[in-house]
Amino acid sequence: MSQTGYLILAISILVILLAVFIVSFVLYKRTPAPKGCENIIISEENCSSCSKHKECSFYHSEGE
Amino acid sequence: MNNIIAFLLAILSSMLIDNVVLSRFYGICPFLGVSKKVKSSLGMGVAVVFVIVLATLICWPLYNYVLVPAGIPYLDTVAYILVIASLVQLVGLFIKKYSPSLYKSLGIYLPLITTNCAVLGVAQSNTDQGLTFVASLANALGTSLGFLMIIVVFSCIRVRLESANVPKAFKGLPIALITAALMAIAFMGLQGLFSGVNL
Amino acid sequence: MAKEKGHTKLNLLKGIVIENPLFVSILGTCPALATTKSIEAAIGMGILFSIVLICSNVLISLLRKLIPEEIRTPSYIVVIATFVTMVKMLANAFLPELYSTLGVFISLIVVNCIVLGRAEAYASKNNVFDSFIDALGMGVGYTLALILMAFFREFLGTGGFTIGKVLPIVPQAMTLQIIPKGYEISLFQTPAGAFIVFGCILAVIAFINNRKNELKTNLERKEKIRKLNEAKAAAAKANNGGKK
Repeated sequence: MSQTGYLILAISILVILLAVFIVSFVLYKRTPAPKGCENIIISEENCSSCSKHKECSFYHSEGE
Repeated sequence: MNNIIAFLLAILSSMLIDNVVLSRFYGICPFLGVSKKVKSSLGMGVAVVFVIVLATLICWPLYNYVLVPAGIPYLDTVAYILVIASLVQLVGLFIKKYSPSLYKSLGIYLPLITTNCAVLGVAQSNTDQGLTFVASLANALGTSLGFLMIIVVFSCIRVRLESANVPKAFKGLPIALITAALMAIAFMGLQGLFSGVNL
Repeated sequence: MAKEKGHTKLNLLKGIVIENPLFVSILGTCPALATTKSIEAAIGMGILFSIVLICSNVLISLLRKLIPEEIRTPSYIVVIATFVTMVKMLANAFLPELYSTLGVFISLIVVNCIVLGRAEAYASKNNVFDSFIDALGMGVGYTLALILMAFFREFLGTGGFTIGKVLPIVPQAMTLQIIPKGYEISLFQTPAGAFIVFGCILAVIAFINNRKNELKTNLERKEKIRKLNEAKAAAAKANNGGKK
């Protein structure tokens, strides 16, 4: 395959990765938590330094 | 046979001698943050092992068979973070949908892993050093198992520290950091562990 | 206008002192431990980090009305990763010494919680100027924190300071040896020393905070007692007055 072919392949793979990331991110947020796990949050007790940052969705995406 | 021994030795050496947390400084945030209880540290450690190994399995071929032939190796960081983030989300989605019991024990740690430097650090250093696929895999396994080991050991120590009588200013994180320093000194003693082994 | 000025100043100082990302929020610890062997490396890391933080904060603040709520985090990650790649390539071209010293930690700015945290918490809600000032404050605060750690590690670990080795500030590398060779504590150059220095700095901060709180509670208690006494005296006076 020529250089251009590889380049197109690489860029399309990157775009696909981005699409997969966005779709899975949205799906993950929309999927309801299984029974019994609705109220799992990262508590102050388990996790000392990160729970200070309530704005950060990575740290508290489960608590919503 | 020799290859298998070399593989195991590579795992052991990146687990003990070049430990992720204590000598390479990857993943300090979860190391300090999620180590107050043994159970939670175990959950975090297992999730990290899983994601690091999977990420290496994808990132190495992506770099060597896609990015390098295309002439854009400098896009590695962007590609890796996309791989890791979508991997974490996909695994999380799968667990959330099909395995409530696994979700209960690992679910809350998965979103934290995207921002764990250990995952990106391993993927990046594997290709930066130009390791082969097998060596990368050994590095990933050793690094992640080293992380699991060290975070569990550390959380065991921290449980004991809770009831120890430390000066008021050192309570909490400062004494945990001093503990980590002592562990690092102990691990320095392992240097040269495999120096006599001929490969 | 005066109020606006004070607000900007406060915003800038917030990141440097009150909400220092490293010492108060305990974020971004990985590069703080790994790149503080020498003051120069710490300065370099701090500058690269600040550039990424400022650029991504400004761009995210500009795009804050365009990005849909649901895909905020993924788009922030892409923006940050792009800026990190740019900074990495620039460092590789113009500061090769720094690039090889910091190594993989330049790439790891992507997963630094401070950058993503500021994007989520501040830049996504505030205008461009405020976001710029916020990022500047946080960047300077982080850089100063790194320099403080590197100061102790380099001074105790090598017995002096070296300039010109990593950053091309002076044409020839110079070393200022304060503690004579052979008397330095090389432990502080090893990973264990990084943990010790960080732990001790956190302990000093906790000590100061404890002291402040103690003084405050003492003052409050004294104030309370004084008020009680006054009330008692007033009551006694009133009683006496009533009797008369």
